[in-house]
Amino acid sequence: MRIPFVSMFMTSPFSGLEEHAEKVKECAWIFQHAIECLLVQKCDSFEELRKEVARIESQADAIKRRIRGHIPKGAILQVDKFTLFRYLGEQDSVLDALEDALNWISFRIEPGVPEELEKEFLLLVDAVIDPVDELSRMVAEARKYFSNYSENQRMVVKKIVRTLREQEHLADEAEDYLKLRIFQVETDPITVFHMVRLAEIVGSIADHAQNAGDMMRAMIAR
Amino acid sequence: MTPEYYILIIGFTFGFYMAWNIGANDVANSMATAVGAKAITIRQALFIAGILNLVGAVFIGSHVTDTIRKGIVSTEILTDPHLALIGALSALLAASLWVSFATWKSLPVSTTHSIVGAMVGFGIMAGGVDCIQWSKLSAVVLSWVISPVFSLIIAVIMFKIILKFILSREDAFQWAIKLSPGFIGLTVFVIALSFVFKTPLGSRMAIGTPMALLLALLLAVGFGVAGKGLLRRFIKDHRTGVEEIFRRIQIGTSCYVALAQGANDVANAIGPVAVIYFLVKTGTVGTEVPVPVFLLFFGGVGIASGIAMAGHRVMDTIGSKITTLTNTRGFCVDFAAATTVLLASKLGLPVSTTHAAVGGVMGVGLARGLEAVNFAIVVQIMVYWVLTVPASAITSMVIFKILQFFL
Repeated sequence: MRIPFVSMFMTSPFSGLEEHAEKVKECAWIFQHAIECLLVQKCDSFEELRKEVARIESQADAIKRRIRGHIPKGAILQVDKFTLFRYLGEQDSVLDALEDALNWISFRIEPGVPEELEKEFLLLVDAVIDPVDELSRMVAEARKYFSNYSENQRMVVKKIVRTLREQEHLADEAEDYLKLRIFQVETDPITVFHMVRLAEIVGSIADHAQNAGDMMRAMIAR
Repeated sequence: MTPEYYILIIGFTFGFYMAWNIGANDVANSMATAVGAKAITIRQALFIAGILNLVGAVFIGSHVTDTIRKGIVSTEILTDPHLALIGALSALLAASLWVSFATWKSLPVSTTHSIVGAMVGFGIMAGGVDCIQWSKLSAVVLSWVISPVFSLIIAVIMFKIILKFILSREDAFQWAIKLSPGFIGLTVFVIALSFVFKTPLGSRMAIGTPMALLLALLLAVGFGVAGKGLLRRFIKDHRTGVEEIFRRIQIGTSCYVALAQGANDVANAIGPVAVIYFLVKTGTVGTEVPVPVFLLFFGGVGIASGIAMAGHRVMDTIGSKITTLTNTRGFCVDFAAATTVLLASKLGLPVSTTHAAVGGVMGVGLARGLEAVNFAIVVQIMVYWVLTVPASAITSMVIFKILQFFL
């Protein structure tokens, strides 16, 4: 039923953003599981977990398309439409990077991660999971800010953006350290190539999370 | 029984149907933002709207109605009682048909403009194009633009004020309490003035403009101070406090709109019925006809039963679709709509609350108060506003010709 001004109210893109962020968080958990599984000697479920991430990634893709497809030309949002799309793009890139990392590992599952590098690799993984976890909280807090426009609430969001930046810095350090160690302990060029590339892909997860934070900062700017 | 009595019975039937449609269609105007912002439940909204519409119709509604709504057609055409009878009936029939078509198709139209259009159709048929007061009709056209634009501007300003002086402050709740007399006072001021200028009861009291302003000012100050005291007493939760304060003001504005709607719109349904009734009783009709209280009650019951029977569907849709509206936003929309209707009717424009409310939502959206508003839909909505007048005019013309053939 069409009632005078009800048709003017659209589904908020923020519901979609929150949903998408939840998918990212879910993937991050599975990613962590997959890595832990990989480092254990007898791992059977890695392939399964990798497929699970791919499945969730396609769900998140559908959410992304739905958000983009449901903002008609005449829509007025609280945030700039393009900033919103770029934010969504960065959030989606986090997911893509998670999936890429697992795929890259699966191309050379047999030797996997050399035992001498396991500790550094795990440190890097932990360092990139933290900012990803922060994303869904940031979206939820930002939504609260847009509903009450409270200065305190804006501070909460700004603080999360700052945290993301700091966490990305830590992840960068972990990535550099892993690379350094790779060249110290490995001589096999194929393993070196595989590991360095893996470190870069995993490191990019935190980069994209930070970019998402920067976009959020632009959205909440007054 | 003479044919006149048949016409009277048909007139009553369609008058009731028209009133029913007004209730079903326009309940959204008064209660939508309150339900959307969860200020009241659907059940409460229907109950309040039903009662207040009935009370508004019977106690505030006009005891005299213009023979022709908004004086759009010159009254010369009414000199022939037979023609006038057919005309009133065809106008009522045409307006009812258009409004019920709109209800069926869920198109947002103004019931006032429907009856105005139907009168134009009858006027053209009875007295030719010359008897139409084109300047009055152009006021209708003007209102399509003025009411949404005006409402939009007020809503933007109101939301910006709330944003700047309350929401973005660090101690939002304290500021909201501190400024609450201002907001309550402003609302009471607009309501009091609307009551005096816009409702038929107000014009019966015959209060002059300076006196009305003074009275409204006194009321505003009184309510503002008292309201602040009550709010300070009853609202303790600082986190949700700001919205709670506006929730209470918003309920007040919604109730006012429901009351005013009953008072003003009841004439759209029973005005033509009164003309028919008067013609059958006395055989002549002037520029104004008296409206007996039982007719007002009849119309009020029609509106209330429309709300009771179809209102639920309307409110369900509103409750599920408008999920992001908060009390501060709802207040801005209501305030903008009420103020626009007041100012426009003071200027003599036949505005519709529906149009003003659409403008209010647009305004809050533009002020970045709403998560997502679709402006593209406004063009569609406007098409139906514009369509209303010619559509009911043409229907009225056709019905007039058919009735003339039979009677």
